[in-house]
Amino acid sequence: MSQFDAIIIGGGVNGLIAGTLLGRRGKNVCIIEKSNRFGGMASYSVDGGPTLAHSLYNLSPRVLSDIGIDPQHPVLSGKPVSTVSLSEDGRHIVFKNEGVFWSEGAKHPESDAWTDLTQQLITYGGLLRQLAEAPPPGGQKAILSRGGLNEFLRLAKLGIGLKKLGKPEMRRFLQVVLSNVHDIVLDDLPEGSVAGMLAADAIWGSATGPRSPGTVFNLIYRLGHGGNITQPAGGMSALTDLMVEAAQKAGCVLMPETEVFRILLDDDTVSGVATNDGRTISTPIVLSNLAPKLTSLMTGHSIFDIETTRQFRNIRARGTAAKVNLRLKDSSPLPGLPDELADERLIYAPSVGYVEAAFNPAKYRQMSKAPVIEAFKMQTADGASWLSTIVQYAPSDLEGGWTETAKEQLAEITVETLSRALPGLGDQIAGKQVITPDQIESATGAPGGHWHHAEMSLDQLLTLRPANGMSRYSMGPKGLFQCGAATHPGGDVMGLAGRNAALAALEAQP
Amino acid sequence: MSIFTDPKLGLIPGAFHKKLEEQNRAQNWYDWAGFAAPGVLDSVEFEYFALRNQASLFDISPMHKYRLIGPDTTAMLNRLVTRDVRKISVGRVGYVVWCDEEGMVIDDGTVFHLGDNNWRLCCQEQMLTWLLDAAWGFDVSVVDETHSVAGLSLQGPTSYAILEAAGFDVSKLKPFDLAQIDHNLMISRTGFTYDLGYELWCDWDKAEALWDRIWKGGEHQGLRAIGYEAVNLARIEAGFLTAGVDFQPVHGTERLHRGQTPFELGLGRLVDFNKGHFNGRRELLSKRESPRSLLMRFDVEGFKPSQGSLIYNRRKKEVGHITSGIWSPTAKRNIALAHVRMPDASRSSGLKAEIYTLQEGKWRTRMARLTPVTKAFFTPPRARATPPART
Amino acid sequence: MKVENRYDVIVAGAGHNGLTAAAYLARAGMRVLVVEKNDWIGGAAVSRSLHEGWTYSNCSYVCSLLRREIARDLELPKYGLQVIPYEGGASFTRDGDYFAYYSDHNALKREMARHSAKDADAYRGYSRSIMRQCRFIRPFLLRDAPDPASLHPRDLGELAYLVKKANGLGSRELGETLKFWTMSIGDFLDEHFENDLIKAHLAGSGIIGTGLGVYSPGTAYVLLHHYMGDIDGGIGAWGFARGGMGAISNAIAASFKEHGGTIHTGSGVEKILSKDGRVEGVALEDGKVYYAPVVASNMDIKRTVLHHIDAAELPDEFTKAVRNFKIRGSSAKLNIALDRFPNFPAAPEHTSFLRGDLHVSQSLLELEKAYDDWKVGRWSEKPYIDMLIPSQIDPTMAPTGAHMMTVFVQYAPYDIEVDGVRSAENWDEKQRNAIAETVLDQMSVACPDIRERVVHMEVRSPLEIEREVGLTEGNIFQGELTFDQLFFNRPVPGWSQYDLPIKGLYLCGSSAHPGGGVMGAPGANAARAILRRETRHGRMKGYAA
Repeated sequence: MSQFDAIIIGGGVNGLIAGTLLGRRGKNVCIIEKSNRFGGMASYSVDGGPTLAHSLYNLSPRVLSDIGIDPQHPVLSGKPVSTVSLSEDGRHIVFKNEGVFWSEGAKHPESDAWTDLTQQLITYGGLLRQLAEAPPPGGQKAILSRGGLNEFLRLAKLGIGLKKLGKPEMRRFLQVVLSNVHDIVLDDLPEGSVAGMLAADAIWGSATGPRSPGTVFNLIYRLGHGGNITQPAGGMSALTDLMVEAAQKAGCVLMPETEVFRILLDDDTVSGVATNDGRTISTPIVLSNLAPKLTSLMTGHSIFDIETTRQFRNIRARGTAAKVNLRLKDSSPLPGLPDELADERLIYAPSVGYVEAAFNPAKYRQMSKAPVIEAFKMQTADGASWLSTIVQYAPSDLEGGWTETAKEQLAEITVETLSRALPGLGDQIAGKQVITPDQIESATGAPGGHWHHAEMSLDQLLTLRPANGMSRYSMGPKGLFQCGAATHPGGDVMGLAGRNAALAALEAQP
Repeated sequence: MSIFTDPKLGLIPGAFHKKLEEQNRAQNWYDWAGFAAPGVLDSVEFEYFALRNQASLFDISPMHKYRLIGPDTTAMLNRLVTRDVRKISVGRVGYVVWCDEEGMVIDDGTVFHLGDNNWRLCCQEQMLTWLLDAAWGFDVSVVDETHSVAGLSLQGPTSYAILEAAGFDVSKLKPFDLAQIDHNLMISRTGFTYDLGYELWCDWDKAEALWDRIWKGGEHQGLRAIGYEAVNLARIEAGFLTAGVDFQPVHGTERLHRGQTPFELGLGRLVDFNKGHFNGRRELLSKRESPRSLLMRFDVEGFKPSQGSLIYNRRKKEVGHITSGIWSPTAKRNIALAHVRMPDASRSSGLKAEIYTLQEGKWRTRMARLTPVTKAFFTPPRARATPPART
Repeated sequence: MKVENRYDVIVAGAGHNGLTAAAYLARAGMRVLVVEKNDWIGGAAVSRSLHEGWTYSNCSYVCSLLRREIARDLELPKYGLQVIPYEGGASFTRDGDYFAYYSDHNALKREMARHSAKDADAYRGYSRSIMRQCRFIRPFLLRDAPDPASLHPRDLGELAYLVKKANGLGSRELGETLKFWTMSIGDFLDEHFENDLIKAHLAGSGIIGTGLGVYSPGTAYVLLHHYMGDIDGGIGAWGFARGGMGAISNAIAASFKEHGGTIHTGSGVEKILSKDGRVEGVALEDGKVYYAPVVASNMDIKRTVLHHIDAAELPDEFTKAVRNFKIRGSSAKLNIALDRFPNFPAAPEHTSFLRGDLHVSQSLLELEKAYDDWKVGRWSEKPYIDMLIPSQIDPTMAPTGAHMMTVFVQYAPYDIEVDGVRSAENWDEKQRNAIAETVLDQMSVACPDIRERVVHMEVRSPLEIEREVGLTEGNIFQGELTFDQLFFNRPVPGWSQYDLPIKGLYLCGSSAHPGGGVMGAPGANAARAILRRETRHGRMKGYAA
């Protein structure tokens, strides 16, 4: 029988980070993964096609430094990509750090307004990052404890940060973070592609439309680390490989193709895990990278209070983003797109109203007939060329289910929609892969195939994430923690949830 | 258009309504979970002394009853209640309490272990939502039997003789035993009076026939149908708590912080920390040693019932109130149940109740000394004797 | 300058909030003038007779939110106000059944159990959650919202009060409160109930008057906004004002006049006069000019700032924030004179629930779809309707044997789309008739003979409401009730305490905290602010102080 100081269940990004961090703090850690590869949703792919996640925009530098990955590592030093909003008339719009431009090079008239608004949100994101880099506020009982004091200092720092903004900006901050992206964007920009781009960036991976209050928060979350978008050199699996390497360097034992079927308890304290292959591994600490409901299946529901199980049953996680990978016949440029934009991030979101209309069918368990799309042209390791796209909205609970016909329909809608701006795209396509949210769920365990395991809505954030009373990473018995995307601050390839959870575990059981 | 009354409004007849109506000379109905239930049928004294001296019949059908069946029922119940129900064997009944996640009592009640993984929970408060929540993830089906199972409480020294006369052999039933007489009738040796007594459970539509049979059996045994007021006297003598009176079921409170732990209600003996997790266990572990108040039994100076009186300590600071207070006709004492805040509850000396009395148009107040009593006020040996006496 | 043109305070607009502010100020000994553009008073709390023999509550139609502190301070019963609770209501199904709501909990439980035994049991937990939120929020209604960016002792004091109240909840309940305030009414109901009809019935209060759908975050709060009132302490109870909602305004006006107040009707404010950042008075449309060192505007913030004040007098940032204030028209109203009581075939004989609020929405998704129509400039194909027949309880509203019906309609956009163009100007006779037909179709689900019963009908689109009452876009709350426009964000950040950037100018309508509904709280709160800031010993007296 083997023994560890801590066991991580689930070798996704947050699990790897939590394990590595604990390893680097001297813990003897084992990371157990059900599938034959690590990296979870980030590096999930089908038949060697493009991975589920295809770009980085808010990977936390603090996490990288905590797990000993050099932010300048070649894998991470990919060139920032610009966003291109595709237009039917061929005048695409390019969003760069310097501003907004027409594809032919002229400055877009809404450039300044876009830059001002984006910068404002990036500033707010910087403030909120202080909250993201620690457990959510409000959980410490005694202010005089070490944790309580730290929390107080952190909030004080946030308060000082707010004060530094000046009174009007501070007030504006408190208004904007609670608002919806439709209003905030259209207050400053006319309806159209520039506004549509911001609306799209506020809804990726979520079951909301631009008019839903709270969507500004999603946009800020995305921009919280400066807003730069990069693609890791060698693809997303190169990054997850790097994380695996970091884990190994930190002394973690990695166990792929091993399924935990039971978390063992003794007198309301974690004592180990039992795996499907009949092994029992003892440990006083388990960090689960799975959503609470799945974790609860491993402990048995009876070790949680009834209110707790009710809370986590009510967590909303309805995935709405499908991955549609279009294999291209060759690496020749996409039709209708200037060469210099070939490797940029392409989005199709011609207006805020368009994004909102795309959301409507998802409410009634239908797929969007005119979806919002994000696309990257890329090559996989085998040299094949792909257009890797995220298509929204494609709800996990599609009426009638995600049959082959439904998938084929979604692929057709995707090609059709993109072809409006890239006429002739259809002729270049040699094959299609459709990865729907329900498929993501069965492959990775993410509830509803949701990127964040739990909707990033205001009633499921901060102290309420993943649910009221469960926000401090610990869960039920002594020694059991959650470290996945369902916890504060949330998912994406960001890593803060795993890091915060590891720190919480260390604080509880040094 | 006139102002109509709606058929859904008002009290509805219960399982024994026809029988009760025949005897209800006082026409004193009250609302028990929507049913017309008798407060008094004849006179309180008459009914109370029948209960303590002969035998009484009281309709308990409005109680909420839930059947829990399925392979995980014992596990599910053990996570629900604070006691270890594995120690309640088939054919036994257990008094239990259950708490919310903060360790505050949701309700108390009885569980009937009818068969393997086959239980009935009987309680005062509606509990379906909570039981369904509790059963989530367990292989248990929860069936609300409130309107399909009728209950009749037969209490008093001649109750055994009456059952015998009615043709039921319950001589072997010890307190908290139950017996399935036939598929339609179950009898348990339980009650709310701390006296010899039985509760009879049958299908709703067979209720009147059961009543008739018992009534006939009681022909020569002084059997009386009684209302709640007489029962209330007896249960205070027995020291039993009533939900909403002696404690506030926490799911029924709109105001915050009205809940109480089992320790605060003097029910610590029902909490078993060694059985594994149960709802509220983690909070109760930390709250065990720090009750904020205690539910106490008092002997009250003088003869005036103390219901609703405020309690003061030596320094004339208000430290609690009487939740139930009566003159006990059997114990011949002025008795009370009361909430007293800590630390006065642990000192428990020098406490006085401020009793208001209205005598023919004149209000008077008196300060009555309170003397703590540890045991129930009335505990006759006949309550526990097996086989039971016939008188 | 004639002396009779000078007042201590001028209130622009004789809505119930303007009158409330005026009445408090008059009682404090100030010389107060209320000016009103219409020939009648009341704003949206008004009763008018448009067809002989019938009286309509033309805009607002039921009463619960009016703070009892105000009713008591202003002695409204003495001036004729009687509020009668109505009990119950129902939602009718398209297949001839109904779900009825009763205030009697036994009856309600029996009726709920008819649709779902689980829901009948779950209702207690649901109603407990709502009541807890009501208890939490009610004390804040007659207090100022603190400015979180300010270090002024009053703001710190109000913040401390907020923190104290929040702390008192305990961490779990505080979490529940935060969750409730940020979630959608649809999600909240889904957590408690399984039956579509029950959920649809309960959801209505979450969308009335707002540009949000039942699944938009924040609509649980909107529901709370409708539940936090009371009648005689019965929290969440609704009732009729005898004589229609105008009776409320009339009683406040009478109380005001008896304490020396003057009301000038028939000419609205053309301009709020100010000089060197200090208010001077108002110029009316009819050319009259009145002077006062204090002006309180009962108009919404947009109308006040963007139409009646010289832009040069205000900081650009403020004007921009006001321009961005969201005040969206989303409701229409039908007032109908009926020759006799309509037939409700589904309702059992001798029922009481027809005296309450009646609906025909079948499910949350149907309500959500109604919102989708509104987003693109159409009124809902199947609108949410809230219809009542107050003449069953109030004999003053219609001739004997005849009845008066009020029908609130959600959603109806302000700028409807006709032939590809979205504009409020599209609301012509033809469109009004068309929406009336849509609503009558909906109503016939409950009472198929409704068309035959109509003697006279007033159809009010958002445009009519705007033109007549003055509410921008016809928004009944003088501004959306979303988080970014509530509490210290209402109406705009930094100006949540009734004053405006021009000295002596105040806001006393529902654009200010705590928002809309016939509550009177913004008016009373504004009066308190005026007395504190503009008078030497300015403390308001009374329960609302």
